Amino acid sequence: MKYFWKIIKESLIIVLISSLMGLFSGILLSANQELFYAIPIILLILPSLNSLIGDISTVLVSRITSALYIGTIPPKVQKSERLKENFFGLLTTILLSLIVLIVLGYILAITTRIKIFNPFLIILILLLTILLLFVIMFISLFISSILLFKRGKDPNNFLIPFLTSLADFLTPFFLIVFIIIFI
Amino acid sequence: MEQQESKGKSKIIKETFPSEIISIIGDIFAGIILLLLVLPFKSFPILIMIVPALLSLRGNLSGPFIARTSRDFIVGEFNKKSWFQNTLATFFLAIVTGLFIGLCSFILDIFLIRTFILPIEVVILISIISIVLTLLISIPSSTLLNYISFKYGLDPNNTVNPLMTAIDDFFTVICFYSTLIIFGVP
Repeated sequence: MKYFWKIIKESLIIVLISSLMGLFSGILLSANQELFYAIPIILLILPSLNSLIGDISTVLVSRITSALYIGTIPPKVQKSERLKENFFGLLTTILLSLIVLIVLGYILAITTRIKIFNPFLIILILLLTILLLFVIMFISLFISSILLFKRGKDPNNFLIPFLTSLADFLTPFFLIVFIIIFI
Repeated sequence: MEQQESKGKSKIIKETFPSEIISIIGDIFAGIILLLLVLPFKSFPILIMIVPALLSLRGNLSGPFIARTSRDFIVGEFNKKSWFQNTLATFFLAIVTGLFIGLCSFILDIFLIRTFILPIEVVILISIISIVLTLLISIPSSTLLNYISFKYGLDPNNTVNPLMTAIDDFFTVICFYSTLIIFGVP
């Protein structure tokens, strides 16, 4: 049962902290519900937006961890070809996915006759939110993965639980901030 | 070198983007179902506080489970024993997390929301049973997807996580709703 205890030992605290962050995310959404009702399209695509950031970050951590284990990324905080490849590959994926999400969101909004608020401004807000979150997540997750790996820990166990909850909290947070700034 | 980099970049996009589309569609459906099924409940104020915590479990429990399975496949350490211990640890963490979410939600309800509709044992059991039911679907599906990806030469890291997000989020909402019905939540 060595593997079982390793997983429990490395995951328990971070899973509990992440759950608490999930609850804070719920409180944040509740507290700002009027804002979302005023611009319903945001509410419609918010779960997908959370997942998008969470998924891309999870893919990043999984890829970096596998690369560290098989030795294709050196355990040092430095630029490498493999790192650049991950950055541009995942950035392109997230931007393409955002386009699909916006198109699907607006198709659903039109079919369900949801009030549409200045599409250009909403797209700008979504783009800024995604870009900002991607850069923050990429830099912090890369550095954290290296540091954890160097200490003999599995970055998958520590970072994935934390980053999903962080994304679930930061996505609505930055959306609300940008909505307040621009609208 | 540049050509190799561009090839690697294309591989990431080619393997991740289609799964991401499925994830987006799954999440849009999860949102609609949540809105239609959970919104009419009288205890909605406390339920909506639990939902983001439950949805974030795809990252807390399923995500690491999938990543560990992917890594075991990639480094050639996947076997029945490692899978069993991985599964057992995930269920153990699920029960502890469910207990924690239920307890915290009840406390937050007392101090912030003040609905006082659901007793403590119901809030705790809703959390635990929803998570366990979701994992009963999530664990076999993700293991199978990991195996298929690996068998067909795809990187499971790129393909399985986004697909499982759609499956996990969709079934989290369905399992959550089923649990509410089981307990006759008002």
